[in-house]
Amino acid sequence: MSYELPRKLVTTVVGSYPYFPEALKALQLRKRGERGREYEELVRRAIARAVEDYLSAGVDVVSDGEQRREDMAVFFAEELRGFRLSGLVRIFDNVYYRRPVIADRVGWDHEIIVEDFRYAARLSKGRPVKVTLTGPYTMYTWSLDRYYGDMRKAMLDLAEALSREIKALVEAGARYIQVDEPALSTRPRKEDVILAGEALGIMVGKLSNVKRIMHVCYGKLERLFPEVLDFPIDQLDLEMKNSNYALLELLKEYSFDKELGLGVIDVHSERVESVDEIMEGIGLGLEILPPEKIYVKPDCGLKRLSRETALAKLRNMVEAARRAREELA
Amino acid sequence: MRLYAGICGSFPRPPELRRAINEFREGKIDRVEFEERYKASFKRVVRLQEDNGLNLLTSGLLLWDDLLRPFAENLDGIRLGRLLRFFDNNFYYRCPVIVDQIRWTRPITLDEVRGLSEAASRAVKAVVPGPYTFLKLSEDRFYGSKDKLADDVVQALRQEIESLSDLADFIQLDEPSLVDPELGEDDRRWGVELVNALLEAVGVSRDKLLIATYFNLDSRSYSILLEVRAGLHLDLSSTKNADHILMEEGYSGDLLSLGVIDSRSIFPEDPGDIAGRVEKLLEKVSAKALAISTSSWLDYIPFEDAVEKLKTLGEVLRRLEAGSR
Repeated sequence: MSYELPRKLVTTVVGSYPYFPEALKALQLRKRGERGREYEELVRRAIARAVEDYLSAGVDVVSDGEQRREDMAVFFAEELRGFRLSGLVRIFDNVYYRRPVIADRVGWDHEIIVEDFRYAARLSKGRPVKVTLTGPYTMYTWSLDRYYGDMRKAMLDLAEALSREIKALVEAGARYIQVDEPALSTRPRKEDVILAGEALGIMVGKLSNVKRIMHVCYGKLERLFPEVLDFPIDQLDLEMKNSNYALLELLKEYSFDKELGLGVIDVHSERVESVDEIMEGIGLGLEILPPEKIYVKPDCGLKRLSRETALAKLRNMVEAARRAREELA
Repeated sequence: MRLYAGICGSFPRPPELRRAINEFREGKIDRVEFEERYKASFKRVVRLQEDNGLNLLTSGLLLWDDLLRPFAENLDGIRLGRLLRFFDNNFYYRCPVIVDQIRWTRPITLDEVRGLSEAASRAVKAVVPGPYTFLKLSEDRFYGSKDKLADDVVQALRQEIESLSDLADFIQLDEPSLVDPELGEDDRRWGVELVNALLEAVGVSRDKLLIATYFNLDSRSYSILLEVRAGLHLDLSSTKNADHILMEEGYSGDLLSLGVIDSRSIFPEDPGDIAGRVEKLLEKVSAKALAISTSSWLDYIPFEDAVEKLKTLGEVLRRLEAGSR
């Protein structure tokens, strides 16, 4: 079954979707190390429900909803070679979490999300399924390094390992590959930005016929410029709504001409943006880029929202994109 | 030169204290039981420092939810706001929101420091937030005037510091904002002036006061930091060329604390290498009292890894002492 994407203002998601009860149960089983048939079945049912919601909202490029992943760094750390989990580390107040520890040389020895991609693609009625991977910079900075003691070496190995997963995903038919680097906007050092670009080169630099996307959000996004303009990506996926589209001015200043993932939905608020409000955001994006280069999507993953809110937001987003296309026509 | 070894500020909460805090907040245990369990954890952390040979002890700040929290909760005029990222860490603090005039009405950390001085057989260090970082990380909804707000913050912190002066051998004012790489030069100068205004006002001998900066050290901020009229704690682990900056610019003063143990990494550190680094630094810097320390608080690593840091710190001290004999 094929699906024809709109030529302008394609709608998409960043990756995660609120967990369905099946996913929550699966995450509990995973924590207990029980990854047998029941676990896989629960994950599949959760993915199916996420895809169903995307289709019902009318999103053009969907994802698997990241229903298998509780934490974007811990998940890949559990699947890649070389990691273990740390003791508890405080994140705020008396709330603690386990950080990934790089305890040995990082490597890839099995497919991680390929089967989830295949499954989502079977259900998506021809709509492309975007796959999302946590990038080397975020993996490194959110981990504790006990092996390398050298960020560059660690990141290049991480990039190599993730490139193997990407290769497997592309072989399985994935055409939208998104590398998530939320940590990149929290540390403003220039050398980090350059290194992240080099790591991206290892992962997606040689890919053709694939949409290469990097997602970054919340922080000092302006510090990624101008280096990010030379990153080997086709699309930069940014949070915009939360920062009141302030970054658009910066994109204009740098004559940004890659595709833009335009965040038009605040994922930290349960308030559902109206269609008009979203159209206004799209309008701001259209002031700097043609509609063919704008992907309309939420600021970030939707997993912190209630399902009802997430679905309502997506519906309004799709409707806003549709009306904006009509206006353009 | 007097040589000390001690952690910069906090120590991770022991697992039993994490549990006790949760149980107390959920109403499962009463205050009396909670206090007992806290004291046991507190003693454990003090003993860990002593057993590893440290000779400048902190309370571990075990009940502090973040650098500003005890003050945000106990000074008049402040309420707690939203969670915000603490510099470049995956750690969040609750933003103090200033809604009325800031007033110090009673000692905030006195009981904790008294407990430390009673439990410890060695020198002790108290910690308070510095005025500039306090202002930078807060949100003002009352004053509308930076100077008026600064005056009241300085007065509040002055009273707190003076309340601790008889019990603590050293009092550390944490000022990570002073070395924030995002800060402009004018702001940094204003920050140093504010710190100096507090140092000027406080009735405590300057040689026991220490301004702690961490998460960064660059040559521009260091040259301004040298204008601080008190001792300095420098993070020599977060920035690659920090040792070089210190060697180039030098230091001479009463008190210098070198954050040579990386508090945000669990990569194994070799005490011999670190002692060698300190010896090299001592060719260019001099102070009446020198402390070797963790680069910042130890909240960013697990408890068991923080214990390793204490061992390393103690071993570095032993090597330096053996070297100087």
